[in-house]
Amino acid sequence: MSIKKYLTLTRAGIIEALQFRLSFLVMIIGNLLYLIVIYFLWKAIYASAGTDVVGGMTFSDTLIYLVLATALYNFMEMYTVWEIGRNIQSGKIVLDLLKPMEYRRYLFWSYSGSFVTQFFLTFLPTFIAVSILTHGAISFGVNLPLFVVSVIMAISINYSIDFIVGTICLYTESIWGINIMKQVIVLLLSGATIPIAFFPEPLKSAMFYLPFQSIYNAPLTVLLHGGSDIESALRLMGMQLVWVVIMNVISIVFWKASLRQITVNGG
Amino acid sequence: MKKKGIGFYLRIYGKILAQDLKSKMSYRADFIISTIGMIFTNISGFVSFWILFKNFSSINGWSYYEMLFLYGFSLVSITPVQCLFDNNWSLRIYVYSGDFIKYCFRPINLFFYFQSEVFDIKGLGQLAFGIGTIVYSWSRIGLAVTPLAIIKLVVFLITASLIMIALQNAAAATCFWIQNSFYVLDLAFKFKDYARYPITIFSPVFRFIFTFVIPIAFIAYYPSLVILRPDAVPILSWLSPVIGVMFFYISYKIWMYGAMKYSGTGS
Repeated sequence: MSIKKYLTLTRAGIIEALQFRLSFLVMIIGNLLYLIVIYFLWKAIYASAGTDVVGGMTFSDTLIYLVLATALYNFMEMYTVWEIGRNIQSGKIVLDLLKPMEYRRYLFWSYSGSFVTQFFLTFLPTFIAVSILTHGAISFGVNLPLFVVSVIMAISINYSIDFIVGTICLYTESIWGINIMKQVIVLLLSGATIPIAFFPEPLKSAMFYLPFQSIYNAPLTVLLHGGSDIESALRLMGMQLVWVVIMNVISIVFWKASLRQITVNGG
Repeated sequence: MKKKGIGFYLRIYGKILAQDLKSKMSYRADFIISTIGMIFTNISGFVSFWILFKNFSSINGWSYYEMLFLYGFSLVSITPVQCLFDNNWSLRIYVYSGDFIKYCFRPINLFFYFQSEVFDIKGLGQLAFGIGTIVYSWSRIGLAVTPLAIIKLVVFLITASLIMIALQNAAAATCFWIQNSFYVLDLAFKFKDYARYPITIFSPVFRFIFTFVIPIAFIAYYPSLVILRPDAVPILSWLSPVIGVMFFYISYKIWMYGAMKYSGTGS
């Protein structure tokens, strides 16, 4: 019955997330505005370029990529660093450490509820809207199951990176600075703000050896081109798998080694 | 009681500022890391900008250096909100916990006292970055450097900064009604990223919205036209100082209205 205790946390998370209906509304408005800005910006960019294909991507390719990257970002952003940092500062982390569940797992599963709500409330509607509006630019075939697996691996890598950065907070007790650095690096190097196809050459190849592109670029490439080019999709996913293992091992080992460091204010 | 003059407020501001800096300095590591984080943010913004222009030489008739000027202009004009009005982010916490009541009992302007309590030094790095960008693009475009142009630049930068301050004030003030204003603030904070593109890329409907409803076009686009296109300055550019002051005044009134309505938590 070990899975049951995790699912209880998921359920609690769903209920908690549904409490804040107003924040959902604000978030949806924010996303719409962002998408509007992106749409017009790239439209102007492609209109000025004079050619239809830049860096191997057409306007609709770029737009689908960026829209889904945003949807994926909303779905995967877990604010783990904030949570760990706040728990360290307030001392609440001591109570969490005493729970009969490993902290790393506890934190993940207490967030899993918002995965579920975000998936149904933001990712799925966006995905359906995009696939209807683009008249089948997204093919429905073997790429869909591959995409699901790829997203799960991306979540794992993203969470591990968050957890490693959160562990650094144990030493620095600085949250804002650490978190903003992580966010900036991940968003830029994962291809979430600008598709990796547009990066100039030495940078582009270098990025394929970093873990970040496995978070956004890999699942989106698998979704968009996985149907026609299974071989390179599988290669991307193999790369993801390697990073899942590496990042998980680092985050677990680093956390274990750092636990001895904790000095918490008595409370 | 006679009305207190601007000299009085400046003196008080200096005193409160000194206390705030002293308390910041006692968390030196956090300060250094946050500053590095801020530099990272600016560098990454610049890198995305540069990557875009590696692929596309101009956007909607705007050259690389003109866009760079716009970018630098927006960086400088959002510095005041970053440095001087950072306490807005904590407003919801004070209101929620009831600590806000302490501001209501001082014999000075409530809004002034609340905002003066925090000065965010991190913003100064951004200011330096922005000024550097403006100077560099200015010289590359080959615009004449005259005293009049510099006065114009300073005046329009200051009045442009009022727009972002107004948006943040109004967003923070929503917490007097809806308690958790974080999402609204976060949404308003993201507007600064949209301000760095020429408004002409949008369709007429959104041009109208971004000019009169959410006035982000006045953060950088309209005021910078005064410098960039001195031969054809639209009337809205000349009006932008007036609009800045007007929006600031409205947001101040909203903020104060909310604060006056505040009844404490009873503890």
